[in-house]
Amino acid sequence: MRIVIAEDDALLREGLTHLLRAEGMEVTSAVDNPDDLLAALAADLPDIAVVDVRMPPTFRDEGLRAAVQARKQWPGLAVLVLSAHVEESYATELLADGAGAVGYLLKERVGKVADFLDALERVAAGGTAMDPEVVGQLLVRRRSDDPLQRLTPREREVLGLMAEGHSNATIGSTLVISDGAVHKHIGNIFTKLGLPTTDAGHRRVLAVLAYLKA
Amino acid sequence: MTVPAPDRQWRDAWRFLAFTALVGFQAMAALLAMVVCVAMIVTLPLLPHVIRFVRGLAARERDRVGRYLATAIPPPPPGTSGSVAEVATSLHDRRDAQWLALQGTLGLLAGSVAIGSPAGLAQNLFIALFWPFLPGATSTVDTPVDSWAGAGVAALVGLAYGLLGVFLVPPLARWWARASAARLAPPRRSLTERLAEVTATRAAALEAHGTELRRIERNLHDGTQNRLVAVVMHLGMVERALSRDPAAALPMVASAQKAATDALAELREVVRAIYPPVLVDRGLTGAVASLAGHCAIPCAVEEHPVPRMPAAVEAAAYFVVAEALTNAVKHSGADRITVSLREEGGALVVEVTDDGRGGADQEHGSGLAGIRGRVAAFDGSTRIVSPPGGPTVVRVDIPAGP
Repeated sequence: MRIVIAEDDALLREGLTHLLRAEGMEVTSAVDNPDDLLAALAADLPDIAVVDVRMPPTFRDEGLRAAVQARKQWPGLAVLVLSAHVEESYATELLADGAGAVGYLLKERVGKVADFLDALERVAAGGTAMDPEVVGQLLVRRRSDDPLQRLTPREREVLGLMAEGHSNATIGSTLVISDGAVHKHIGNIFTKLGLPTTDAGHRRVLAVLAYLKA
Repeated sequence: MTVPAPDRQWRDAWRFLAFTALVGFQAMAALLAMVVCVAMIVTLPLLPHVIRFVRGLAARERDRVGRYLATAIPPPPPGTSGSVAEVATSLHDRRDAQWLALQGTLGLLAGSVAIGSPAGLAQNLFIALFWPFLPGATSTVDTPVDSWAGAGVAALVGLAYGLLGVFLVPPLARWWARASAARLAPPRRSLTERLAEVTATRAAALEAHGTELRRIERNLHDGTQNRLVAVVMHLGMVERALSRDPAAALPMVASAQKAATDALAELREVVRAIYPPVLVDRGLTGAVASLAGHCAIPCAVEEHPVPRMPAAVEAAAYFVVAEALTNAVKHSGADRITVSLREEGGALVVEVTDDGRGGADQEHGSGLAGIRGRVAAFDGSTRIVSPPGGPTVVRVDIPAGP
């Protein structure tokens, strides 16, 4: 997999480059600001761009804006956005074009290397990787008449993992349940929430996230 | 200081006084409306609307009179509502009412000189010139104009109107401007009261700041630091284990990673409590929209253009909205919440309205007390209206600068 990294902290940039190379990935360039990111993408389009939210010059949300702009310029470009804090509204902005191949994770998730690589591959393949904390912000306790209240605890777990962008197989292995059980839970969830059944993959994630945001 | 030419002075005075007549009409209408509202009990709920109109009128007059006198007239401190009880007890509203009564009577009279003088001049001269075509015409003082002699009298009457205007308008304008300014400015003795108030809120602000520092210190010291110590400790154990029994190192690495992840989660919380990152990224409007998005009850944000305020003011407003939303979700049973942000007279106004059951406990609710404390530290004001049955309105005014 060919990767471009944009991260202004030198230590983290080097660390991330080192980690990915050690896992056999090809880091084509590692830059420290949004302008260089767009230049690097223009020069040699990678399979995925890993982008930090806060970057120079103002250290606000330059990285996020650059990521959104890059996806306008190269539709379908896979982008994994990393940040020290997550904000559900930023996820919405990234998902807004409905094109998939979007990830939004806390920086520290890099520490769980296997999970991080899984997310990277998922996004590069056109899928979604939402941080559990983003999903948690969406799953806040709602009012008593909320259909979410009718879900069993297990169904809520499955819903959360679906929203994070995991496949049925991963959901099954994470919760240690069979594929058939996962299927049944998902069917129940869609019925209880009154959502049309959608095929697995990015469209399903969008449907679930859209429901949670409504 | 440059003194404008006499004719410019006169023109300014005339324009000022003519406008005074216009404002006088509005003041009289407002006075009548107030009397009607109070006299007919059923119309009493309309009174706040009239009060709002009067305040707007007074604010515009403060501006206009200030411009004429070339001094700024300080507005009254913000923060009082339009509720009948508050208006009756508010010193500023009583002063505004006094001003209104004067403006509607004396102001109207003074202003009518500015309008009457040129009108009288024009009318009499017109009659003096064109009397042959106007059978039965009289001058404005009722002398018959049916000969050139009569026309001469009418012309003299017109001239008298004109001279009256020339000599009376400037002193009258000056006198009226000073009289209005005295009424419209906040009472002088309130400065002493303000000083006492500012001293008290300053002490409260220092106290609140100290509490905040201690809280942050405790979080970092007892939480994050300990977690990082655990990380270092586990890494030390890993180092030892790698030389003896590499297989035993794996669970220790996992423990170190977990401790570091916990430390990061705690740090995120501390950072959020000091100054929410989304506020840095997106400013107050964006940050409040994000809060509204997280809210468990459908929450709409009414956006009015708000300029960037000092960071501390924006943070205070953000925490007020966060606290008010948490309160509403916990206690109100509301179906809808509206958050409104706007700037009024240099103050940031935050209003959170829910359609819940009302009856918020202002004495014992720690959330509402927290809001009051936070706002008082900025010398702002908090008003919570929550009648049983709702709706609940939490409004804070935070002065943005000196």
